[in-house]
Amino acid sequence: MRILLVEDESRVAKRIERMTRSFFGNKLQKVLLCEGLPEARQLMQQQPFDLVLLDLNLNGEDGFELLQETASAAFHTIIISAYKDKAITAFEYGVLDFVPKPFNEERLAQAFLRISSTQKAGIGARYLSVKKRGAITLIDVSDICYIQGAGIYTELHLKNRRKEIHDKSLEKLEQLLPPNFVRIHKSYIADMLEAQEILVETGSKYSLLLSTGQRLPIGRTRYKTLKEDFFNG
Amino acid sequence: MPHLCRLLYFCACLLLLTTGCEEAPLYYTADAQFYPGDYLPTDPTNSPLWKAERAHVNHEAFWVRFPVLLEESVQQVEHLGVQINAFGAYEVYWDGKLIGKNGTPATSGKPEQPGTEMSYFIIPPEAATAGKHWLYLHATQAYSAENRGYFVFLGDYFEMVRAPLILTAFMYILAGAFLIAALYFLILYLTNRKAYAVLLFSITCLLFFALILLEYVKFYIPIPYAHFYTRLEMIGFLTLTIAFLVPWYFSLQFSFRWKKAFLPVLFVLLLTIYLLNYFRQGYYDETAQFLAFCMWGASLLITAEATYRKHTGASLVLAGLLLSALVHALIYYDISVFISFTIIILCMLYILAIRGKEQAKAYESSLLQSARLKNQLLRKNIQPHFLMNTLTSLIDWVEESPREGVRFIEALAGEFEILNQVADSTLVPIRQELELCQRHLAVMGYRKEIQYYWQEEGIDLAEHVPPALFHTLLENGISHSLPADDGSIRFLLRFSAGQEAKQYDFITYARNRKSAIEKEGTGFAYVRSRLQESYGSHWQLQSEPIPAGWKTSIILYPA
Repeated sequence: MRILLVEDESRVAKRIERMTRSFFGNKLQKVLLCEGLPEARQLMQQQPFDLVLLDLNLNGEDGFELLQETASAAFHTIIISAYKDKAITAFEYGVLDFVPKPFNEERLAQAFLRISSTQKAGIGARYLSVKKRGAITLIDVSDICYIQGAGIYTELHLKNRRKEIHDKSLEKLEQLLPPNFVRIHKSYIADMLEAQEILVETGSKYSLLLSTGQRLPIGRTRYKTLKEDFFNG
Repeated sequence: MPHLCRLLYFCACLLLLTTGCEEAPLYYTADAQFYPGDYLPTDPTNSPLWKAERAHVNHEAFWVRFPVLLEESVQQVEHLGVQINAFGAYEVYWDGKLIGKNGTPATSGKPEQPGTEMSYFIIPPEAATAGKHWLYLHATQAYSAENRGYFVFLGDYFEMVRAPLILTAFMYILAGAFLIAALYFLILYLTNRKAYAVLLFSITCLLFFALILLEYVKFYIPIPYAHFYTRLEMIGFLTLTIAFLVPWYFSLQFSFRWKKAFLPVLFVLLLTIYLLNYFRQGYYDETAQFLAFCMWGASLLITAEATYRKHTGASLVLAGLLLSALVHALIYYDISVFISFTIIILCMLYILAIRGKEQAKAYESSLLQSARLKNQLLRKNIQPHFLMNTLTSLIDWVEESPREGVRFIEALAGEFEILNQVADSTLVPIRQELELCQRHLAVMGYRKEIQYYWQEEGIDLAEHVPPALFHTLLENGISHSLPADDGSIRFLLRFSAGQEAKQYDFITYARNRKSAIEKEGTGFAYVRSRLQESYGSHWQLQSEPIPAGWKTSIILYPA
């Protein structure tokens, strides 16, 4: 576990670091501290991380700017901030959890536990930020038809037939997206609002017919739950 | 429109009354003729010594005669009277019979008792018959060397006497209104000594009141003819003063840009016109007209410029000025000048009323602003960024080192205490503000674990500043700075007072974060609002990076 902590209050940063070490124990490879956006960007470019803990108000700078960047990265973002009223907006950008200050060890542990959980995070993201040509673009989640895994990246297939590349894995995206996005196959997440029916083909092959006419394969293990949840058993 | 027509008709009637003309001619007369000396021959009628011009003025007594032809219509007139306009003291004879005198002509023993410039006499009813009559005056003019003409008018005696008094009565109603306006605005000025425009307006109203009084006083106070011009000179002087004050008032009220250059020029112009009259005696009416025209022109210029700048109320005043010009073009001068003046005064009244309303609104909004600032100051304590971060570090201190935790809590209590003390004031002693800053630094030291140093230089403890002014700059300084190489950040507050201004320099010795250079600190809106609250526009705020770190300067100018 490689963690980046972006926090300008030194005392609070030390506290978070202590609790993080205490939670992850041996699994923690490194924890890096930095105080501001430019430093954070540099570190993110230079080294790989599995998780970033981000404060939203850093020396008067708006953390949401950085949030859009970290949300586009391959790793999860957990917000630790004094501004509780910004939690909903943070979730809309696709964060794993929002820990309000002041916090205790249990609350932080709760947030860390979400990393490996299959449960969805909150109400689900409204935007996914993607890195395109050096800048960050926001994709509205309602524009996504389905998502296909492609190696370490994922392809977001939009309703207007365009494609965007996202750095996060399917597992991570599944945690962040709203409930109507379901992992139907080890390589596919589909927006069930676009689903029309399940087609059965020879050899127990199941596929999902989308309103666009496309057919996506359904994993055999997932077929039953899918049918029960969305097509009235 | 109907009201304007009625007004014109009313004025026209007044004209007819004052000039004493009626539809069908009542009488015919000819120009005055003069006979030198005290004694007339037994039958003076055809003497060749009657001349159209007087020989020597004010040296000796003389006789004046008018032939009067009364028409048949004279029988309808109940009391025939004669009005005489002239300089001098004289006895009046109608058909050889003495009917009255105006003053007493000089005799060998006694000096002359001067008469008034205008006098009225009743003609005995039995002598007021149709046909030719002679009006003789036996006069001396000891107190004036002016060869002024003699004029007579005939009509109903009581109507002739009453008509100017009725006019005077109406004009005095107007004068009374101006007196009350003058008193009201004087009182208004006394409650707010800074409103010079109000004082000017009050004085103008008072002068206008005096002007109307003087203008019509001749109809009921007997002024000896020698002092006839005194009254006119006083009127001229009043007109001069008013002609200068009115544009001055407008230039103040409308914040006329070229006021300083324009007003002296106007003053010189008006004074020149007025003094020219001294060298050419007798052009009082013309002088007054010129002065009034200059006043109107100057006011028009100022108001037009203000209308162009879209100043409140300027367009209506401009319309009023143009209307007064229209009135002047339509109505006989004497009355039109007063109506024009009244319109202008009403315009000035209107502006003052608007200004009063604007000031009330500005005062209300400044009260609101003060309340907002107090609110902002109090919320500094409980803003999530400050409060939650402070509590989180506090929790950590308490868990790790309870003793330090307690000291942290004490520092926090110290900052809260002062913040509450200063919350209600708009200005606090600088000592309190400095204490607030020091306590804030103590709290931040616990949070950021950076060594902060606070220094002061040249502080005058007698000074007052708005609350949390430097506290806000300090907050900014803390978040926008990175420690110097030795891990510390130093803050210096320096005060310097010069002849022209007082200056506070707030210097942060540290390295600047990139973000600091790119945009202004968020607290600056609070700083600006507080400076405006206490110092109006007499301040300046400068903020810029310096090689050693960052410098923010607040310069305060005297009011």
